[in-house]
Amino acid sequence: MAGAAQVILAVDDSASMRQMVRYTLEGAGYKVIQAADGVEALEFARSGLADLVLTDVNMPRMDGLTLVRELRALQTYKHTPVLVLTTESGQETKQRGKQAGATGWIVKPFNPEQLLNTIARVLQ
Amino acid sequence: MLAQPIDSQDNGASDTWTPEQQIAHMLDLCEAQMESALSESDLAVESLIKAFTGLADTTRSVSELAEKLPPEIKEVAINGLNQQVDTISKQMAAAIVAFQFYDKLSQRLGHVRYSLTTLAMFVCDRAQTSQKDQWRRLFTTLKRLYRTEEERKIFQMMVEGASAEEARAYVQQTTQTLPPAATGDIELF
Repeated sequence: MAGAAQVILAVDDSASMRQMVRYTLEGAGYKVIQAADGVEALEFARSGLADLVLTDVNMPRMDGLTLVRELRALQTYKHTPVLVLTTESGQETKQRGKQAGATGWIVKPFNPEQLLNTIARVLQ
Repeated sequence: MLAQPIDSQDNGASDTWTPEQQIAHMLDLCEAQMESALSESDLAVESLIKAFTGLADTTRSVSELAEKLPPEIKEVAINGLNQQVDTISKQMAAAIVAFQFYDKLSQRLGHVRYSLTTLAMFVCDRAQTSQKDQWRRLFTTLKRLYRTEEERKIFQMMVEGASAEEARAYVQQTTQTLPPAATGDIELF
């Protein structure tokens, strides 16, 4: 079992997606904090710490790429791995994600095993 | 909405009746039907997900309980139990991928709904519909909506002149060549 007690902040406006992510990550021993959009995620990040952030791109109030930029502006999240989990697969958006400071890009639908392997890899 | 109801010609509003408004009204109708179907499905999928997570949590509890069995029972039962739990876990993983396709479907239909509403407003404005540039602008606006590979491909094909039938044939062909429950790419920067 990988990464026991490490905290992952999962950000997605779809409740069903959050459930799928939560189930996958908790099964591997991670603690999952959920947020429904960038604003909620940022609120958590300003006072709490996560070992990794997994965020969708298109969300109300604050999108995932803005969230990445805002997180990078926080001293405590400067070097925290941020993976983008989205249905968007266009190179242009990926590039914007990379420029914003994302660590990686995962196109939905995710395979639970591959997601866990990727998380374990970036957490090393 | 800008459109007049189809029967408005019969209730004294015939002076405002235009074919454009009827088209807009029909587009709005399609959008409303889609919204209604999606809301209904959302509720069903929500309960399905609740059932799924409940089942998943129970499976985990069974697995944890098996670990705590007295050694003499554990020795006999553990291999069989682990095999069963492994099988269930694989099925759960497949279900997780499948659930995400519903999420993707909702997202794609959301884009179609937005397109229909936008088009409904557009067709009511003759000043816009008579200008080629405005149509181009509308296409650019709609293009930005389409974010998945499949959406972009279909949009591109249709914009380049493919018929709806050709686009459907392409979709069928690509769907058939995909492995079941194909998942997305991963790229680390």
